[in-house]
Amino acid sequence: MARLLPLIVIAIALYFWIKNRRAAKGGSGGSGGSRAKNAEAAARLGLLPADRLDTENLTPPSAVHTAAKEAVQAGDWAAGAAYVEEAGRDWYERRRRISRLADAAVQDDAWLLAWRAARPEDPAAAAVQASSLVYLAWEIRGSKLAKHTTDEQFASFHRVLKQARETFAHAQELAGDDPSPFIGELPLAMGLGYPHEAVEAIWAEIEKRDPLNYLAYSSALQYWCAKWCGSHEAALAFARRGAERARPGQLLTNFVLEAYFEQESYDSDLEPQEFYNRPEVVAATDAALVDLAAAESVLDPADPRLAETRHMVAWMLYWQDRYEAALAQFRLVDGYIGTAPWSYAGDPKGRYTNVRDYTAAQVLKARGE
Amino acid sequence: MGATLRAVRAFVLLSGFYLLGLLLLAVLGGIDWAAWAWAPGAVRIKIFFVSVVLAIPVVQGLFMLRTPRDDEPGGLPVTEADEPRLWATVRELAERIGTRAPDEIRLTADVNAAVGEDARLLGLIGGRRRMYIGLPLMSGLDEAGLRAVLAHELGHYSNADTRLTALTARGRVQVARMIETFHAKADAKVARERARQEQKAGKRLAKGRTAKEVDTAGAGITYRTMAKIYTAYGNLYLRATLSGARRQELAADLAAARIAGRDATARALRAIPALDAAHDFYLSSYAGLGTEFGLLPARGEVFGGVRHLLAARAEELAGLREDLPDEPASPYESHPPMAERVARVEALPDDGRSAEGTGPALALLSAPDTALAAVEDVSLSPEARRMRRLAWPELVHESMSARVARGTEELRAAAGGAALPALLDAIDAGRAWEIAGRLPRSEEASAATGRVAREFARPGLRRGLSAMVTEELLRSGHARWQFSWTGPATLDLPDGTPEQLTAALDAATADLPDTAPLRVLLAPLAAR
Repeated sequence: MARLLPLIVIAIALYFWIKNRRAAKGGSGGSGGSRAKNAEAAARLGLLPADRLDTENLTPPSAVHTAAKEAVQAGDWAAGAAYVEEAGRDWYERRRRISRLADAAVQDDAWLLAWRAARPEDPAAAAVQASSLVYLAWEIRGSKLAKHTTDEQFASFHRVLKQARETFAHAQELAGDDPSPFIGELPLAMGLGYPHEAVEAIWAEIEKRDPLNYLAYSSALQYWCAKWCGSHEAALAFARRGAERARPGQLLTNFVLEAYFEQESYDSDLEPQEFYNRPEVVAATDAALVDLAAAESVLDPADPRLAETRHMVAWMLYWQDRYEAALAQFRLVDGYIGTAPWSYAGDPKGRYTNVRDYTAAQVLKARGE
Repeated sequence: MGATLRAVRAFVLLSGFYLLGLLLLAVLGGIDWAAWAWAPGAVRIKIFFVSVVLAIPVVQGLFMLRTPRDDEPGGLPVTEADEPRLWATVRELAERIGTRAPDEIRLTADVNAAVGEDARLLGLIGGRRRMYIGLPLMSGLDEAGLRAVLAHELGHYSNADTRLTALTARGRVQVARMIETFHAKADAKVARERARQEQKAGKRLAKGRTAKEVDTAGAGITYRTMAKIYTAYGNLYLRATLSGARRQELAADLAAARIAGRDATARALRAIPALDAAHDFYLSSYAGLGTEFGLLPARGEVFGGVRHLLAARAEELAGLREDLPDEPASPYESHPPMAERVARVEALPDDGRSAEGTGPALALLSAPDTALAAVEDVSLSPEARRMRRLAWPELVHESMSARVARGTEELRAAAGGAALPALLDAIDAGRAWEIAGRLPRSEEASAATGRVAREFARPGLRRGLSAMVTEELLRSGHARWQFSWTGPATLDLPDGTPEQLTAALDAATADLPDTAPLRVLLAPLAAR
């Protein structure tokens, strides 16, 4: 017994050490003391305090987008039409602009009504209207759990989604080469639970027009996730297919990481520390890092695709204890955190600072400071 | 524990009710004595007063239990001369069960049959026996099924071979009734207190002062406290005697199966929950369809109409009969779950009597329609008896039309009393959402702004507009409500109109509204 005693003591110490480490990492924050110390480390590395983090946006506001939004809200729908046209055949950019206008139309759509009345066959107006109906439906439903959502909210939600489906059909008739109204229908497919064949048909139309569209992958991945209409396997297979076919710098590698992230968020039995260190996840993270390096020379540094990928990569690197590499990503995106994985937490700012500050503290520790 | 021992326990438990009352009185007396000895004058008087207030329900409780005031026996009493076949059936069943036949048979408007007895001396001595038979129950059973139900009920008179188990059953009813009485007293006191305070508030207002909030939280609290003490005891009592009660029900089922036949008994047991559900549905969706507008079906049809529904929806009911509840309705329910009762009966060996008595049970009455009308006369409230009586097609048409008219009220008010043409003009002038915004709104809708608010308002606008157009169609004779025993009432419209109407209402309430299709639809109406 006497000989066993030191072993027991060591085992207990080890247990508490691991437990503390997990608590500090797991997002529950560890003790108040260690949180404050981590925050101090982040500050020393020049990272922003929590009250200066923007949880709504992914990138700093762009003058072009802001001007277009203000113009339409002042009633100038022609400015909105021109804003979409300027994207030309850059289908990613066109879809993004349509989506932004659709978002602006959720609160006040007087300009959009005027646009549609003046040009009933304008493909851009139809695409904006269709997507704005989807956003409007979610605004009506609200983000509360089903039991806290009233029958009236559900009825209006479904009515508006049904109307959106009809409007997408109209917008798709007018679309020509533009994949936007097909990509825009994917979130609707999710909300209404389209059968797989219907989504595959939409996907075929997208592939004809722009087979490696980042936004198309983003929306379709959500559809194929277990929490919506697919499974972990379907989501991962879908994301891998895109990543394999894309050129370096197109950042479709991000969606493989996203598929893993969705799986871990969905399945509460998974232990993140173990899951994110599986060889295939580490390999996918490395692939995304290579992709990011290639993208830096292709894309505008302000491109939201870069920021979105960096946030996800930073999350993976954090769990893989690759703190220096994670910090490098945090430095590039700090300040605008309106994206996954933070937006999946009840308190996005809390999750972000927790992870970032812990990373900062580990970096300082490794450097011996 | 044998049946005798359980019965003795039930007797002790029932006696405990008296002891509890006496104990409470003794405690109150003790407090008074202590107050007399030590408390100063003013406090003493207050304590006496409170103790008397508390003692009153206790004393009443003791007497209440001794002579439970029977509910006024309801229903229509029928003599042997009125209903010879029914009486002969009951007498024959009573004889075969081995109990005294009831002294009275009363026909009621329930989906139920029951027996009652005016008992004396804690129920040790039996009294006048009444049997209640619900006509809606008879409407849904065949003759053999009714015999099974009646045999089961008669079994309760003699059930379980000893007087003391009868005491258990009776005690349970009395306990429940006592708790109920306490609560009723408390409620009545709260209502009186509310009326008094409201009157007072009215006076304050008349004198130009602000009225105080009506607060009745304190009223009836003494009664409720007593009810709580007795409820706790009653729960103990019920739990202790319940398994016996459920066993008795199963025994009564087996007795019924012996006398009325296995299959008839199982059939009746299966039919009762389905009948109950069908009757509730019938009352709310058919007989009661027009009550809020002062309309009732013809005399005799209020409780008799369920026969048409049962005939028209026989298949649906067959499905319900297969799907039996397998949980008791409540922890205090004295009957075992229906699924268990049916299973016990169906497990009996075949007695070869499945073909007996398959005619309708109502045929046991000398004149079913007369009986239905007479039961209606004694069961309906005076207010209901004064309502206008209509044949089924007219009743449904008029009630549904009145509903449509009521559906127009909110939108009409929101539009400042405008009639349909003026409302369409207002929509054309772009005022639709301003008007819709004045419709009653939910909390979520009131909080919404902009386009979300418009989406919340749209269904109300469309509903109101639809009601106004339908009202026009009904008024001009272009539409009529069709009733059906197999489904909900439908609005009969000229060919093509339903699709046109839907599209026209959508167009008139769209973001870019177009009232032209509605105007086209309404044009021929105005011409008439």
